[in-house]
Order: sequence, then structure tokens, then C-alpha cells
Amino acid sequence: MIVGPLLSVAALALVAGMVGGLRRPRLWLALTLVASAALLAAAGVVLCGAAGFAGAPRAELSDVTSAQWLLGDRWEWRGEFRIGGERPHMLLDAVSALFLALLAVLGGAGAAYSHGYWSDADHPESAGAGRLWWSAMVLMMGLVLVSANGLYFLFGWELFTLAAYFLVTLGNHRRQVRAAGWLYLAASHVGTLCLFAFFVLLAERTGSWELGPFLRGHAGLAPLFWLALAGFGVKAGMFPLHVWLPSAHANAPSHVSAMLSGMALKLGIYGLVRFSGWLPLPAQAGWVVIGLGALGALFGIAFAFAQNDLKRLLAYCSVENIGVILIGLGAAVLAVTHGDAPWGRLALAGALLHVWNHGLFKALLFLGAGSVHHATGTRELSRLGGLWRKMPWTAGLFALGAVAVAGLPPLNGFVSEWLVYLGLFDAGVARGPVAWAAMPVAIVLGMAGALALASFAKAGALVFCGAPRTQRAAHAHESGAWMLGPMTALAGLCVAIGLAPALLWPVLARVAAAWNPAWAVGVEAPAPLGTLGGVHVALALLALAAAAGLWRRALNNGLRRGLTWDCGYAVPTGRMQYTGGSFAGLVAGWFAWLLQTERSLHRPRGLMPERAHRVERIPETVLERLIGPVAALVLRASSAVRRLQQGRLQSYILYLVAGLAALGLMVFLGGTP
Amino acid sequence: MRIADWAADDGYRIFADEPTGLVYSPPAIFYPLLTTRYSLLLPPMTGTLNLLIGLSMGLNLMALGSSRIPSLIRAMSVQGVVLGIMPLLMEHHIVWPVALVALATVAVKGAIIPRLLQRAMRAANIDRDMEPLIGFIPSLLLGAGGTIVAMALARSLPLLPEHAGSLLVPGALASVLTGFVLLIGRTKAISQVCGYLILENGIYLFGLLLIHATPLLVEAGILLDLTVGVFVIGIIVDHIQRAFDSLDTSKLTVLRE
Amino acid sequence: MLTLLDFILRLALWLVLAPLLPGLINKVKAWVAGRRGPPVLQLYYDLARLWRKSVVLSTLASPGFILAPAVAWVALVGAALLLPLGPAGTALGFRGDVLLMIYLLALARFCTVWAALETGSAFEGMGSVREVSYAVLTEAAIIAAVLSLCVNTGGLSLGAILAPSAGAGAALLAGGLFTVLLAENCRVPFDDPNTHLELTMVHEAMILDHSGPPLAAILHGASVKLMLFSVLLVQAVVPLGDLAPLAAYGALAGGVLVVVVGVGLVESLLARFAFRQVPFLLTLAFLLCLFALLVAWKGGAA
Repeated sequence: MIVGPLLSVAALALVAGMVGGLRRPRLWLALTLVASAALLAAAGVVLCGAAGFAGAPRAELSDVTSAQWLLGDRWEWRGEFRIGGERPHMLLDAVSALFLALLAVLGGAGAAYSHGYWSDADHPESAGAGRLWWSAMVLMMGLVLVSANGLYFLFGWELFTLAAYFLVTLGNHRRQVRAAGWLYLAASHVGTLCLFAFFVLLAERTGSWELGPFLRGHAGLAPLFWLALAGFGVKAGMFPLHVWLPSAHANAPSHVSAMLSGMALKLGIYGLVRFSGWLPLPAQAGWVVIGLGALGALFGIAFAFAQNDLKRLLAYCSVENIGVILIGLGAAVLAVTHGDAPWGRLALAGALLHVWNHGLFKALLFLGAGSVHHATGTRELSRLGGLWRKMPWTAGLFALGAVAVAGLPPLNGFVSEWLVYLGLFDAGVARGPVAWAAMPVAIVLGMAGALALASFAKAGALVFCGAPRTQRAAHAHESGAWMLGPMTALAGLCVAIGLAPALLWPVLARVAAAWNPAWAVGVEAPAPLGTLGGVHVALALLALAAAAGLWRRALNNGLRRGLTWDCGYAVPTGRMQYTGGSFAGLVAGWFAWLLQTERSLHRPRGLMPERAHRVERIPETVLERLIGPVAALVLRASSAVRRLQQGRLQSYILYLVAGLAALGLMVFLGGTP
Repeated sequence: MRIADWAADDGYRIFADEPTGLVYSPPAIFYPLLTTRYSLLLPPMTGTLNLLIGLSMGLNLMALGSSRIPSLIRAMSVQGVVLGIMPLLMEHHIVWPVALVALATVAVKGAIIPRLLQRAMRAANIDRDMEPLIGFIPSLLLGAGGTIVAMALARSLPLLPEHAGSLLVPGALASVLTGFVLLIGRTKAISQVCGYLILENGIYLFGLLLIHATPLLVEAGILLDLTVGVFVIGIIVDHIQRAFDSLDTSKLTVLRE
Repeated sequence: MLTLLDFILRLALWLVLAPLLPGLINKVKAWVAGRRGPPVLQLYYDLARLWRKSVVLSTLASPGFILAPAVAWVALVGAALLLPLGPAGTALGFRGDVLLMIYLLALARFCTVWAALETGSAFEGMGSVREVSYAVLTEAAIIAAVLSLCVNTGGLSLGAILAPSAGAGAALLAGGLFTVLLAENCRVPFDDPNTHLELTMVHEAMILDHSGPPLAAILHGASVKLMLFSVLLVQAVVPLGDLAPLAAYGALAGGVLVVVVGVGLVESLLARFAFRQVPFLLTLAFLLCLFALLVAWKGGAA
């Protein structure tokens, strides 16, 4: 078995990168890329089922062998020694391999990007630390993915959270960055607290820290799922536990944002997928998950559309995409609790594919936003514009990512959303009780899709199209090859998944079978992914041909440049263009109850008005209106209690006497203390 | 740039001067009206009764969505008529007391009460536009959501087998809910009266479940109460208007001698 | 070979017939107003003329300004080709193609909006905002309508679900889809294709700066979209499957004609609504589709 050595190579390379990379960026990059390749290979071996069955032509597989083929390979290793009282137990099955593959791709792409973006020349004080923590984070994420022991899982979880904290606060000379880091750390630890409780209770009820599919047999474990949902939900940015997410993503360096959004959130999803597969599930679990997913999808994207900060917009869009994934997962859980219905497999496959897709295109977009920030020094949509002229490659790649994230054919985002839709529609057509959830959720998903389109038309076009709104935007510069290279690779993967989704079906079927063995039913795709891929290829080719034809025609007919007509206005300036706020105004009005936009308006007065401004701020509604007041209340209560403790000995003696007197009184009155 | 288009953008409806151009358009109610009328011509889904109840559900939404008091009154009265003829369809052979009650209901709800309300409106010279506390779109969505929930709820209620397939209970619940939304979300006294009447229509629908058990006298009494109630409100509205120069109930929160 | 021929015939049908529809609408409007009106084939003349004209490109626009209309046109024609045509069925039917169709329309919208924002013009921004914002509500209505068709027939492909049953559900669906048709194609009462006033337009405002062949692609694509929605509406409401093939083709063509006349009449009898009222009307369309879904659900359960 080759998986073990591959994983060891990856771990060694990452550790070596931590040690040797502080001063030598090129060595670190090489080591990190080697580790990524090794991780990808290990995941690929498990996902493609390299041992035994993969060579056989699919048509020759009987039903029994194809089921085996689907249940496929897993790599398992138990140490003979004990660390911290527990024997290490590692397990790489299809579910964890799916996430490991994404980790490998994003870990490598982010590392290469940071080579150009957060270089020693630009950030002499923090670049080395950035490399150290990057390696540590990738290593710990890998540990979380392969450990099948509660203690090791928690260990990896906590350390990866810490590494991510240090990465978020790399640029810690800015106040917002430090605040975002603290918020992230605090929220993560609330989640970790839930996970501590979860694993401890799990260990207490089963008698060991071991994890695995055998947990499904313990019927008493079902209520623990709620703890897991809360704990992993915080990390995944599940609405309304997403409060840490926008500011952390917006203020982190962009390669870190890409990793946070592409992978750290997915680890929360991994936890949910993992333990919804291994634990017995409470009857309401599916309803709750699909409901939270639908809420997150709609509200997340509504918040995203209203944002005026490019990275914050992307961050809120992650809340939406996590919602889409949760919708698929929730439908799958509902299917399991309603007799292993086949539509659940479709929805789960869609959710799993969306894990990859969101990882890829969101990383691409965050890297693109990083290039924009690098070139102009701002993330404000109302200070950007017209960047395509200076950054044509970034503009093209960002536009491609925007099409993908809006879930439009022929790219990858559409494929996974299509699978989720098919699952929901099938559930609706089946007319079971689940249809009452599936049909409204399908409608919500449609609205979220339309809002995602609006958001990314806004984000892409306001940044790259039109006239520059400020001098800084006018003097931008294209990024170097180290930054464009990883973006191109990610974009290529987006296109590849979009054009050839059928190739991925065996992988998805295998993961679905690993999640629920009842779904190890043949390798034929229940959805015509092959036909869809064919249509996508045809569409892409036709679109290219039509574009080329129209371009030629326009050139042949003669092409003149002139000012934008703008209905006859002679001197259009960049400041007359639509801004982010005006673009979102209409929809922001519909969601005013949710967004609670704060406006400050200073109208121009008099004949020669001097100052006039209009400022809009979209507050973090959940944080500022919900959690903030509650936290303030708790703080007030605790500071009231603290008044008792002033450090004067006399008072403490007074408390002692009062306590004794109270006890005495209780005994005197006949109560039992 | 034409002034008309500027103005149209600000919410004023102004006649375009184009040759294709245009007559005054009825508000959005045009559409449900069109389709519900259309559906009358088509074969019923599970019986004429259900079709009528479906119609009354549509009228509920019309009442929730109408921004003018006259159209609200119209929706309410049409619903009254629709519900009024339902007892005739529920019986295989019509007995005269049922026919009488049905006739009286149609007459009172379809003609007398709307006439009274319109008179009150004209007498008090009320502004015909409404200022809602709950906006029209939210109230529409509330009403639609309530209707769907009522449908789901009615399945789990322990009903007589002969009522199991009918929409009577969901229709009744939907009307009651609509009435409450109108009572809560509108400020004008007259629109609140309409809300109350729609609520009463819902209760009437519930009553149809017990059509054999309810004595005729009770039905007739309710009808009389309603008429007198609306009559009295009409007078009160007039007096309020004269005394306070406004019918906005939100301004009537302070009591003085 | 036969499939290829079938495919080419369909393509030709869509491409050639689509520009007829706006001409017919204009004829109906002229007839109601008592004018003679432009010839029915006016759009063909316009397209031919535009195709030969040169292009004026804004100094701000990138090549995307010309490429996006091409992609949008391909997306619209692709979506149209997915639709079945009466008894001829679909050229390429598969489970879930209906979602592909909806999302291809969305792709076209994205491209149009992107091209509009290329120019940096405030008016085009205005049109774009309206387009993408109203789409949120129409998308909900379309998904509800498609769901009702799916629940009604138990199928998931366009060829299977467009086999409606007459009744209250069909009436509700007709109302809902017709309203969606008006909104998606930017007709009165949502938008007025006749005014050339930048402040009051949706679709026309987005294409203010286009000229020459790209404008031709946009106009032709818009007519394909109109025909797509008409064909979809007719097949979603009229049970063509019960008719003999020839009669079914006739009914399909007649139905499209009725829809077109309906659009013309609405345009003649209604004024464009204030933008404040548009969301209300779209909500109504959504509710009609939602209740069609409810009826479909009830109908199967009883």
C-alpha cells in the first residue's frame, strides 16, 4: 500500500518546511509543493480505488463487485505505541480523501501565490512567520482529516485553529486585523468547547476515544449530533454562527483568506459529513440541517450583495455556498432517515462536489481580490474600477471565477448545484413528507442563485470594468507570474470539472458509499452527467466560435473608439458610475429588515456647498444586534459580581462570616445545606 | 427626457402621450382577477366546492394586496357572495331554510354591507389610499404562507371522513388569518372593518362544517349582527371624521373628554 | 444523420422565426391604436442593416463588451434548443435539462449585465440593477412553476414535464408564467420597449452603447428569448399531447400567436408600472406559480 509512505513524505516535507522555510522561501515553496503533490497522490489513490478494481473495465463488473469497488479502498494504520495515553489511529477513507485532495490543491496554490504576494521583500517582518504557520496549518488540517481517534482529532483541530489565527493576524499592525483575529479566535473556541464536550461524551459513552463507523451501532449517541452541529457549524460558518467569518476573511492576507474559505470552512463541513455518517442521527437532524442551509444560502448572499468591500463580499458569499452544501447534506440525512431514498445520494453527491467547487472558485476569487489589493491598496468597490486595462489576466480569471461562483453553465458551480437541485426535485416529485422541505428549499436555492449572479456581476464589473474611480485604481499594475500561475491552475480546474463532470462520478459515488453503505449500488450515475458534460463542451465551443465570429465581423465592419455615450453627457467621469451601494440599493431595500443599513447623510447646502457626503454601512447584523447585546448583558452581570472582589482582606472575612451565618441559619431552620 | 417618465419613476402614474398609449391601468389586482375568472370556466379540480374555496383563497390574497379601499371592499364582498352560495352546492336536495339563509347571506354580504361601507367612505370623504403598517408584499407573503400552512395543518386535524378531501378547513383558516393580518396591519377604520368581515367569512366557512347542526336562527342572528354592526360603524366613522378630521386609528390612541 | 438534420431544422426554425414575434406584437399594438404600424418583418430589416454597420466602441470598454453578447446569444439559442416542440419532442432530452435551461437564461443575463457595466455609464448601471434585482423574484416564480410541472407529471426533463393537465392549476400557471414572460422579456408593465428614455428602461438601458453586429446579436437573442418563453408557456398550459400531430403543431403555433397578441394587448391597454410596484407584481406571479404547485400537489394526493 502506497498511501502510508505518501502521507509520511508529505508530513516530513511540511515539518521540514516549518524548520527550514523561515529563512529560505524557495526551499519552503519546493517542500510545500512536494507535500501537496504527495497528499494529492495519496488522496487520489484512495479516491480512484487503485487496488484491484480500478483496472477492470466498468462494464464487466457485476453488481456485487461494483458495490465492493464503490466501498473501495481505505487506508488504516494503528500505531503500536502510545502518545498521550492513546495509540495513534489513522484512517483515510473516501470521505476524508475528498477533503484531503482539496487541501493538497489549495495548500500548494496558496503557497505558490504567497511567494509573490507576501514576499520577504514586501513583508520582511512577517513573511517567515507566514511560511511557518502555513506549513503548520496544512499539517494540522491533514492530521484532522486522517485521525480516527477523538483525542488526536481535537489536538489537530485546536492547533490548526491557532495556526490559522496567526496567519489571519500576519499584518497585525492594523487594528482591524487584530480585532478580526480576536473575534476569530473567540468564536473558534466557542466551537471547540462544543467539540470538547462532544468528544468527551462520546468517549465516555463508548469507553474509548476510537472513532469509526462502529459508532452507528450505539443508539444512545444520537443526541450528541447537536453538539457536533454547533461545534462544526461555527467553523463552517453556518448561518447564524458565521459571525467570525466576514471580518476574518476580509482582513487576512488573501492567500490566507483563500485557504480559510476554501479549506478551513470545509473542515467544519468535513466534521458534519463525517459524524453524520458515523453517528446514529436524531430524527430532526435532517430538517434542521436543511433549514439552516436554506437560511444561510439566502441570507448569506443577501448580505454579500450589499457589501461594498470586495473581500467581505466574497466572505459572505462563502456563507451562501456553505448553505448550499448544507442543503445537500441535509437532504441526504433526510433521505437516510426516510429509508435510504435514492435522491439523497444525488443531493449528497452535489454537496460533496460543491465542497470541491467552492474550494476552487472561491480560492481563485480571493487570490484575484488579493491581486487587486496588492495592485491598488484598497478593497473598497467604490475606489476601484477599470482595472481590466492594467490587469487583463487577473480580470479574465476573476470573471471566470465569477461565472463559476454564480453557478452558471458551463462551469463547475453549475454542475454541483444541478446535482443538489436534482436531489431536491426528486424528493419533491416523490411526494413524501420530505417534499415539504425540498420544494421550498429548491425555490430558495433559485433565489440565492439569482442573487449570487447579481453579487458577482457587481463585484466583477465594478472592479474591472468602466472607468477607474480613483487615482490608485488608474495606476494599478498586473501581478507577477507567481500570483497568476496558481490562479490559472485553479481556473483550469474549474473549467475541467465543468466540462467533464462525468469523470468525477465514480469518485462521488465512492464517497457517498463510504458515507452511507446502503448507497453502494452500482457505478452508473443516476444523473446524466455525461450528457450534461457534452452539452457544456458544445456550449463552450459554440460560445468561443460565436465570440470569435462576432469579433471578426466587428473588425471587418470597422471599429471606432469613442466616449461612452451616457445619453449625451460630454465629460463622463469615473465618479458618475454606479457604485456598490447604488447597485445593491434595490435588493437592499427588500432585505432592509435583515441588513439594517446605517446611513449618514450630509446634504449639500447653500449656493457654494462645501462638504456633502453620504455614508452607508452594513452592520454585522447577527453580531451587533444579536450577540453583542447579549454579550453586553453578560458582561454587565459579571462586572456586578466582580465588585464583590476588591482585594480588601476585611471584606473577604466579612463574606466568610456571612456565609457561615447563612449556613448556620439554614441548619437552625431545619433545612439541609 | 420627458417629464412624464421622470414622474412615472417616482410613483406617479401619468398618461403617456404616445400613439400606442394608454389608458389608466387598474392596479395589480388585474392578474388574479383574470386568472380566477378563467379558472371558473375550466373543469373543477376536485369539485365545484373546492374551486369556490380556492377562489375565496385567491380573494383573500387580493384583499391583502389591494392598496385601495374600494378594491378591498370589492374583494370582501365577492368573497361573501362566493361563500354565500356554497350551502346550495353542499346539499343534494335543497331545503328552503338553507336556501333562504344562502340568499340572505348573498344579499347582505354582497350588496348591503358593501353599500353601507361605500356610503360611509363617501360621507366621511376618506382618502382612498391606505397606509399599511405591514406592507403589501409582506402581507401577501404572510397570507400565502398562512394558506399553505393551513393546508398542511388541515391534514392532521381529526375531521369527519366526508370533509377530509375538501378545502373547507384550510379555506376557513386562511380567511381567519387574512382577517387578522388586515386587522393588525391596516390603519384606516374602514379597512379594519373589511378585515373583520373577512375574518367573519372564515368563521362562516367553519360553520358550514356543521351546516346540519346549526339552527337557522343562529345563522340569521349572526347575519343581523353583522349588518347592524357595519351600520353602526358607518355612523361612527362619519362622526370620528367630523370630530378629529382623520380616520387613522393610530391617531386615536389618546382618549379625551 | 437524421438527428443532425433534425437538429439543423430546429436551429433554423428558432433562428428564422424568432424575429417575427416582436413584429407581430408591434402590429397588434398598431392595430389597437388604429395606426398602420411598421411592417411585420421590420426586425429582420433592422438586423440585416445592423449586421453590415460598423461598431462604435466606448473608450472604456474591454473586448468583453463585444464577446459577452456573443456568449449571451449562444446561451439563449442553446436554451431554446432544449425546449421540445410539440409532438416533435426534444432534440436532446435528459433528466434535469429544465434546470440547464433556466441557468442558460441566467448566463445570458450575466453576460448582458457585464457588457452593460463595461461602459461605466450610470444609465446602463441603472438598467443592470433592475435586471438582476427583478430576476431574483422571477427566478423564484420560474422554479415554482417548473416544480409544479414536475410534481404534476412525475418527470424531471422538459420533454416529460410539459404534459399538463387542464384545470385550476393550469390556469394559475398560465397567469404566473405570462407575468414572468412579460417581466423577463422586459415588456409593459415592467418595462417599455418603445420609450427611449434611459431612466425608465431595463433592457434597453443596458444596451444603449451597443452598435453594429453586437447589437444585432443582442436584439436577435432577445427575440429568441421571447419565443422561448411563449413556446414554454403554451406547452406548459395546453395539453398538446392529446392532439393529433398536425393539430398539435397548429395548436402550438396558434398558442404562440395568442400569447403574442396577449402581449400586444397588454402593452396597448396598460401603462408601464412605477418601479415601486414591480416587486409587488412579481410577488403575485410567484404566488400564482406557488399555488399552481399546491394544486398539483393536492391533485396527486387526492
